[in-house]
Amino acid sequence: MHAGANHGDDAALAARLAARDPAALREAIALHADALNRIAYRMTGDAHEAEDIVQDALLRLWDHAPAIAARHPVGSQAAGALRLGGWLNRVATNLAIDRLRRARRLSGGEVPECEDEAPLADAIMEAGERDRSARSLIAALPERQRAAIVLTYYEELSNAAAAETLDMNIKAFESLLLRARTALRRAFNGLAQGGVDEQG
Amino acid sequence: MSKDDLIEGTAMARALDDFPVPGLNAGFADRVLIAAQGRAMPLPPLRRANGGGGAAGRRWRLSQRFVIATLGFGALATAAAATGVLERFDLPVPSPARVWASMTGNAAPAQTAAAPVTAPVIAQGVASSDAVPVVIDGLIDTPEELGEAFRRIDAVREGREAARRQAIDARIERAIERRRAAGLPLPTPEQQARLRERIGAGQAQRQRLANERVNARRAELQSKVENGEALTRENVLRPLREDAAAPALGAQLARLRQMTPQQRRVALRQLPPAQRRILIGQLRARRGAAALPAPELAPLQSDNQPATIATEENSVSPEDAPATTVEQLPPGSAF
Repeated sequence: MHAGANHGDDAALAARLAARDPAALREAIALHADALNRIAYRMTGDAHEAEDIVQDALLRLWDHAPAIAARHPVGSQAAGALRLGGWLNRVATNLAIDRLRRARRLSGGEVPECEDEAPLADAIMEAGERDRSARSLIAALPERQRAAIVLTYYEELSNAAAAETLDMNIKAFESLLLRARTALRRAFNGLAQGGVDEQG
Repeated sequence: MSKDDLIEGTAMARALDDFPVPGLNAGFADRVLIAAQGRAMPLPPLRRANGGGGAAGRRWRLSQRFVIATLGFGALATAAAATGVLERFDLPVPSPARVWASMTGNAAPAQTAAAPVTAPVIAQGVASSDAVPVVIDGLIDTPEELGEAFRRIDAVREGREAARRQAIDARIERAIERRRAAGLPLPTPEQQARLRERIGAGQAQRQRLANERVNARRAELQSKVENGEALTRENVLRPLREDAAAPALGAQLARLRQMTPQQRRVALRQLPPAQRRILIGQLRARRGAAALPAPELAPLQSDNQPATIATEENSVSPEDAPATTVEQLPPGSAF
């Protein structure tokens, strides 16, 4: 999941990005784009929006590479602490939260559900139903709670890493995560109750 | 709600797991690369308004200002010293050689007006004393030893005389220089010559009185030695005046001279008779010295200018000239 685990490589990659090496950007895309896409898609529930977020995050990496490389020179102790994956996760999460808030402000309410307008075949109808149920469970959460669930459950980040991604201290994040699970449970129970009512 | 709600296999976990993510479109990487190539370089980070902030920044700014102020003051002081402004305000400016000597510990070459004259004369006296093999051993009890003591004392007196003459010349030159700088009319060479002549006459008068006392005192000492009496250093260097209050009398005399005649008369009347007689004698002697013919300096006068050089600061009148009066000399040197 975290392709940039080799920290020394991250510093070298940042140095190449700072040197405006297109191959380095292509390598960063190959390493991190999928993870960023997962986060962005599960945060927004929109594939196009997610792709925009991923592109924006990678371009920000391209822009900030000189500063990042200057703070983490190759071979130094700081270079070992550099984790481009974590940096990109934070950027993508913040971008997703910003877009969700902007959409809510513009619509004046909850983010509208993005229904698939294409006619569904019977074979995929059931999967689509499940997908919509999971998506509606996540979409029922506020932005930061949604990010907490996405990062810890789907991306399997540790609480500490997720807290760092959201720029929170660990205690505050754990409290946020607890609230997110409570809300998720409530939404799930409500969804299950609705399904039972429909069947009845 | 507990963490167990999201454990794999639970109903809610199964519901959440059914959330597949569509992959990125083909050509996504190329699009990002094209977009990256067209992006301008990011702007440099903004400089913080407080210049770094915190105690370290404040210390740095204070240090910077202190260094700038010190350098500025040093530059101004150097410029003032170089242009001679400090000397016009009578602030002494040591020469580089003197500063260097004070740092290295080597003796600086004498730069003052008095030192260069006094030192060679004394050195000359010592050298000539080396030529005469007279050694004062213990008390002075022979005429040769007494003569040697007189010779050494004369050498010191000559040095002082030369120093006084040079100091007078220097003060006259400074006064002329100040008048020139202030744009005041300068004395003609004839006026200067008359002024020097007047000062010299005062000096000569003072010297003559001192010599008379010295000679009388020396004759007394010589008679003592010839009678077999041994003289100590205190006997030879005894103050010229019999009373030990000579310096106090000198100061009192100076105060009396600054009074008006009426005030002086009242002040003298309040003194003890013996002291009054001494002071009146001194005043008469001074008045006699001042009664010598003085040069006419009237041409220097103008409506708003001092009449003579002597009216300037550090006047060079005979009374105030550095040729120290007998009573102003230290007791040991007023021989």
